[in-house]
Amino acid sequence: MPKLIIDDIPVEVAPGTSVLEAARSVGITIPHFCYHPALAIAAACRLCAVKLLDGPVKGIQMSCALPAQDGMVVSTTDPEALRMRQLVIEWLMMNHPHDCPVCDEGGECLLQDFTIAGGHSRRRYQGKKRTFQNQYLGETIHHEMNRCIECYRCVRFYQDYAGGTDFGVTGSAGRVYFGRFKEGALESPFSGNLVDICPTGVFTDKTGRFRARYWDYEFAPSVCQHCSVGCNTAPQNFQRETIKIVGRRNDQVNGWFICDRARFDKGYLNDPQRPREARLDGATCGYEDAIDAAAKAIGKFVAQNGAESLAFVASSRLSLEGMTLLAQLARTVDGARLCYFGDGAELAGSVAAARLLHEKNSAYLRDIEKAECIALYSLDLMEEGPMLALAVRKAFLAGAQIYLVDGDPIPAKQKLPFTFTAVANLDEVPFEGGGRGVVIAGAGKKDADLLDQLASGGAKLVMLQPGPNAMAGGLLTLEFGGEAFSELASAGKIKGVVCFEADLPDGLTADVEVLACADWRNSAAAVKAPVFLPTTTWVESDGTAINYEGRAQRFRRTRVSGLPLKGLDSKYYGSAADAAAEHPPRVHRKEIPGGAERDAWRVMAQLIERLGGRTIEEPLTGRWSKLKDLDPEGEGVRVFNLLQGDPRTEP
Amino acid sequence: MIPESLKKTLEARVASAITAREAAVDVMKELQAHYGWLTDEAVGEAASLLGLSPLQVEELATFYEMIYRRPVGKKVIHVCDSISCWCVDCEGIIEHLKKKLGVGLGETTADGMFTLLPCCCMGMCGDGPAMSVGDVPYGKLTPELVDEILEMERQKA
Ligand code: SF4
Ligand code: SF4
Ligand code: FES
Ligand code: FES
Repeated sequence: MPKLIIDDIPVEVAPGTSVLEAARSVGITIPHFCYHPALAIAAACRLCAVKLLDGPVKGIQMSCALPAQDGMVVSTTDPEALRMRQLVIEWLMMNHPHDCPVCDEGGECLLQDFTIAGGHSRRRYQGKKRTFQNQYLGETIHHEMNRCIECYRCVRFYQDYAGGTDFGVTGSAGRVYFGRFKEGALESPFSGNLVDICPTGVFTDKTGRFRARYWDYEFAPSVCQHCSVGCNTAPQNFQRETIKIVGRRNDQVNGWFICDRARFDKGYLNDPQRPREARLDGATCGYEDAIDAAAKAIGKFVAQNGAESLAFVASSRLSLEGMTLLAQLARTVDGARLCYFGDGAELAGSVAAARLLHEKNSAYLRDIEKAECIALYSLDLMEEGPMLALAVRKAFLAGAQIYLVDGDPIPAKQKLPFTFTAVANLDEVPFEGGGRGVVIAGAGKKDADLLDQLASGGAKLVMLQPGPNAMAGGLLTLEFGGEAFSELASAGKIKGVVCFEADLPDGLTADVEVLACADWRNSAAAVKAPVFLPTTTWVESDGTAINYEGRAQRFRRTRVSGLPLKGLDSKYYGSAADAAAEHPPRVHRKEIPGGAERDAWRVMAQLIERLGGRTIEEPLTGRWSKLKDLDPEGEGVRVFNLLQGDPRTEP
Repeated sequence: MIPESLKKTLEARVASAITAREAAVDVMKELQAHYGWLTDEAVGEAASLLGLSPLQVEELATFYEMIYRRPVGKKVIHVCDSISCWCVDCEGIIEHLKKKLGVGLGETTADGMFTLLPCCCMGMCGDGPAMSVGDVPYGKLTPELVDEILEMERQKA
C-alpha cells in the first residue's frame, strides 16, 4: 500500500492507484479532461499536471498516468504546475470557439470550468482557428467538431468500452477528427453516452438542445423505468417538461452509463395528449368525485356479483408503493382478486425469480463483469437488459467464455458487443467447478425443470424481468396470492376489473366490465372505463422499484405534474377570448394546468378509506417498512435478507 | 474491384498476421498501388479483408502520411518542413518546387506527374533540406538540384 503526501495530506492507497485518484480520495480534484474512471488511461490532454517535490520521481508529471508510490511528495498548487495547466488550457483554447453563450454545453462544460479555474482569459495567439465540417449523426446526437479538445474520451468509450465500430478517430496532428466514415446515424445503442462523456460541447442531446441551461433544470435522482435493470438516471426538467435524461453513477447497477432507450425515450412523459383530468362517463370531473364514483361502482359490483368476480389489476409499471397498496385494496374488498401480471407466462417467470433467487445466488453487475463463463439463456439481451451487454463485454474482454443457449438467432442490427458460442442446451456450457459462472436468463420460456436446473447449478443467476418493477410483482404475488389476469379472464372467473397502470391486451377486456381505471397512459382500459383517474409517472412521483437482482431503489419526484408550459393551449392563458396569446399565463391560478394527476398509491389509499378501510399515510408497511428510508442517492438495497417472515419456499 | 489474384495474396497476408490490424498497412499499400490512391472502394475492400469496419480502416489510412485518400499524381513529392530543414531554408525549396511545378501544396501538376505535399521530419536532418519523390529520398537540396531531380524522375517515369 503506497504511502504518499499530497498537498501536505498523508494518503495511503491501493497499489496501482494513480496520483490523480489518490488526490481525489482525500477530496482534492486535480483538473483533468481525458481521465475518466470508467475508461483506460490516455494521458492525452496534459491538464492534470502536478509537481513532485520529492520521492522516486521529481518535477512536473501527469498525475492521471502516474501510479502512486511510496515516498512521493506531491504538490497540486506549485506555481510551476499551475502555470503548466494554464498553458495547456491556453493551447486548447487556441482552436476552440469563444462562443459559450451559443453553445448548448455552456453551464455544464468541463472546458468552461477549467478555463475559468486555470486563469486563462486573454488570447495571445494571432493565427486562425482550425475548423471542421460537422457530420449528421442521427436524430439524437448533434455534432460540433470545432469544440473538440482531443481528449479521446468519446472513442475510448464508443469502441473500447461499448464495442461500437462505426465511430472513431481519423487523421493525425492538427487534423484529428472524431466522427464516422460517412455521415449517418450512430449505430451503437449506447451512443447517447457521448453526450455525458465529452467534456466539451462536441456531442449534445439533439432532442433537447437550447431549451434550458443547466441551472434552469429541476432534477433529482431517478431510476430508469424501461427495463428491469434499473439504471440510475437524472431527468432534467424545465417548466414541467423533461428536456434531457442523463446517466447517474451507481457502481452496483449501471456504473456510469445508460442505454439510449433510457436517455431518449421520453416523449411519452411530456405528451400533451396524456390523460390528465379525472373523467366520469366521458366528462371531465373533479378528482374527488371520480374517487367517490369508483368506490360506489366497486361497492355496487361486489353486492351484485360477489367480490371473487372482481379483480384489481396492475402491471410492472406500478411502483412498489402502489403494488403493496393494491394488495390492501383487494383485501379491503373482501376476497377480490389481485393481479400484478396480465400474462400467465410473465407471472410464472417473475414468481420463479422471486422464489429461486436469494442473496447468494442472485448475480449483479460486478458478478457479471468478473465472471469466467457466462451463459445467455434464451433471451434478447439488447431488448431485455441492454446495459448488461456492456457488463458481459467487460467479462469477455477479460477472457470469459460466452455461450448463447437455445437462443433465437440474433438480428444483425442488434449486434452484441462480444463474441459467443451458440450451444443447444445448458449442459454444454462448461461451468468449471461452479466458480465464477453466471447464467443470464430472459423473462420468457421457463419451465419447471429448467428452473430447477438453473438453481441447482453452481452458477449465479440473472433472471431478467418482463418489466421495470416485475420483480416486486413476483414477490408480492407470492406474499398475497396474486393471479394472472389472462388466466382469470379466459376461465371466465371474473366479471369486473379495476385497473391501476395495467397493460391489458384489448381482447381480454372485451368480456369484462372495466369499473374504473387509474393510469398515465391512454390504454384500452382507460378509454373503456366509466371512471378515469389520472396518475403521475415515475418522473413526477416518489417511488421504489425492485430490479432483476432484487435490489430496491428509491426514485424521487423530479418535477411537478401538469402540462408542459411550452405549447400550452391558449385556453389556459389570460382568457379564452384571446385566442393566440403569445406569452405563458399572466393570470395567477391555484392549479397547474393539467396538474390533477395523483400518485397511484394515494388514489388507492383514498379508495381504501372510502371502502371502509383504515387511513393510510405510509404505503410501505409490514415487512416492506424497512425500505421506508431508502436513500435515493445510495446504491439501493437487496431485499432478500431484509424481508422477514419470508413466505418464499427456500430453494 | 480488385483482381482475384491480388485478393488471394492479401488474404494470405492477413492470415499470416497475429492480429488483422497488424496487416492493415500492407493491405492498404497494396490496394493503393493497384488503384493509384486509396479509394472509398478500396477502404471497403480493406475492411472486409481485415475484418474491420470501414471507419476503423479510415482511422489507420488517415493517420499515415503515405496512404493517399485522394487522387494523386504518378509520383508524390514529400518535402520536409520540420525544424532542422526549416533552419536550412526549406521554405525556399518549397517555394521553388511550387513555382517549378506550377502547383500549390497539396496539388497535382496538370500532366498528372507530381503531387506536392509537405511532410514531417523524415530522419534526414543532417542532410536537409530534404524531400522524397516516390520512394526515393533526396537531401542537401538546392534549387538547381531540385530541377535536376524533377527532370530525372520525369524521365524515369
Ligand atoms: S464547449 Fe464549453 S467552452 Fe466550448 S463553447 Fe461550449 S460551453 Fe464554451
Ligand atoms: S469529441 Fe469530445 S470526447 Fe471526443 S476527443 Fe473531442 S473533446 Fe474529447
Ligand atoms: S487527465 Fe491526465 S493527461 Fe488528461
Ligand atoms: S527536419 Fe527535415 S528531415 Fe528532419
